[in-house]
Amino acid sequence: MAEGEEKGRLQRRLLSLAVAVGCVAPVAVLILLSIATRWPAGQAWPAELTGERWGELFSGRGALLESLVLSITLSLAVATVSTAAGYLTSKAIAFSPHRHRLLLLAYIPFAFSPVILGTCLLFLYLRLDLAGTAGGVALAQTMFSYGFAVIFFIGFWTPQKQAYEELVYTLGGSTWTAYRRALLPLSRGLLAVGFFQAFLISWFQYGLTLLVGGGRVKTLPLKVFDYVREANPYYAALASCLLVLPPLVLVLLNRRAAPSFGVSR
Amino acid sequence: MKPRLPDRVGIALLMLVVAAPVGFSLGYALLYSIGAVGLLSEGITAEHWLAMLQRRELWTSLLLSLHVATTTLLFTTSAALALALLLRRPLERGPLSALLYVPLAIPGTVAAFLTFQLFVGGGLVERWVSALGATLGIATPSGELVPMVHDPWALGIVATHVALAIPFFALLFAELYRTEAVSELETLATSLGASRAQVLWRVTVPVLLRRASTNLVLFFIVVLGSFEIPLLLGRQTPQMLSVLTYRKFALFDLAERPEAYVLALIYTAVVFLLLALVRRLPQEGGSLG
Repeated sequence: MAEGEEKGRLQRRLLSLAVAVGCVAPVAVLILLSIATRWPAGQAWPAELTGERWGELFSGRGALLESLVLSITLSLAVATVSTAAGYLTSKAIAFSPHRHRLLLLAYIPFAFSPVILGTCLLFLYLRLDLAGTAGGVALAQTMFSYGFAVIFFIGFWTPQKQAYEELVYTLGGSTWTAYRRALLPLSRGLLAVGFFQAFLISWFQYGLTLLVGGGRVKTLPLKVFDYVREANPYYAALASCLLVLPPLVLVLLNRRAAPSFGVSR
Repeated sequence: MKPRLPDRVGIALLMLVVAAPVGFSLGYALLYSIGAVGLLSEGITAEHWLAMLQRRELWTSLLLSLHVATTTLLFTTSAALALALLLRRPLERGPLSALLYVPLAIPGTVAAFLTFQLFVGGGLVERWVSALGATLGIATPSGELVPMVHDPWALGIVATHVALAIPFFALLFAELYRTEAVSELETLATSLGASRAQVLWRVTVPVLLRRASTNLVLFFIVVLGSFEIPLLLGRQTPQMLSVLTYRKFALFDLAERPEAYVLALIYTAVVFLLLALVRRLPQEGGSLG
């Protein structure tokens, strides 16, 4: 019996180790590729390692720094607008008599394929002169991260929160006071997580950016594909590291900020 | 309570940011698909719909998308359930509970690139296996070890989706195991005479799957419409729905455009059906509607 338990424990340890290696290995491979100078065919290890590409990135010589700045600016703008708008809309939906129908509407951009919806949206963007511009890409991405933000915040609005708000009004407070003194302080942590997740939706977006940006708005995911198409895995790995490392640090610092396929986690 | 200004603004934003553009776009797609608008339009016709519905390309693309989404869902759910139940303690505390968050920071674009680099013929996995074989004095097969890039069964696409999603669902199941007090339900079932297998299949697994059903259906929809991973790892024919729609839309041949809209509308119908299904799922917090 004790032998069987010991065997089971050993198997679980080995499984834990395998899972841990599987989790870390992708990032390790990316970093290795980003610092490899040459990796001759058939060789198990690169011929030489260098920090030259990383140095080039931060000296501003390559095009990647430009893409990094563009991606950060775009994602920050999208996350700010989506979080604020999603917060307001989720509250309105949560206490609306038409909650079911309105929520279904909010799910559409959240659940739809960005490329397919983007295909249908492109005519509108062309008419509005927004196609091929960073503003157009930001607007298109906002639609998706806003839909997510609405779904994300909906669970926050309980009858208890409504009671707090009503209490503020009963005591003579205004709408602004209710938000500033009661609702926003209660949702500060959730707002930070919602902001980060909305940021990630924009940060990782490829298909919609390609379609609406017409390939001219070169965010980091587009650069990864560009380098893959140019058969340049080293720069593709560098661009991938830039895409992965910032969210990775934040996710490890705050695990609640991890991306999700839905709402109930 | 009467709706205040921020609530009215919230609803107005939903209409402006989602309802209006989506309604307009789908309406435009429908009109384009029946020839009512468009540069090459010659009047209303069902020609594009009939042509597309009779084309093998549509059905193989739809089948491929459904195959990828279903297989991914099955493998992800099974593996994540197994991990959550076998490694319950390490997932609650210890280094694994933190390391499992690492893959959650990897986007589809990067995952597709990694699968490509690792598994393409002459890729890193092949090199490492050959080197290991040479070190141990074992002969290893040359060429692609596992067909994962542009393979006929979309193994690479499925494997990449599964690898990306397992950590999230393992964490979700582990969390649900705790919050739904599954351990107490298991004890109760055992005390009533249930065997270990009965406890697992009649209590633990149904409770976890039922509680995670919304996430699972949404994940199915996400994979069904995925783009980056099949774009890099998929074959030229058949292509997944998103890739095929994009290809038809981005081509210089304007005659293909109505077909792109037909595809987009078919995909839309499938997603609406699935969303209706999510809406009917019995769940608290996180359910649709």
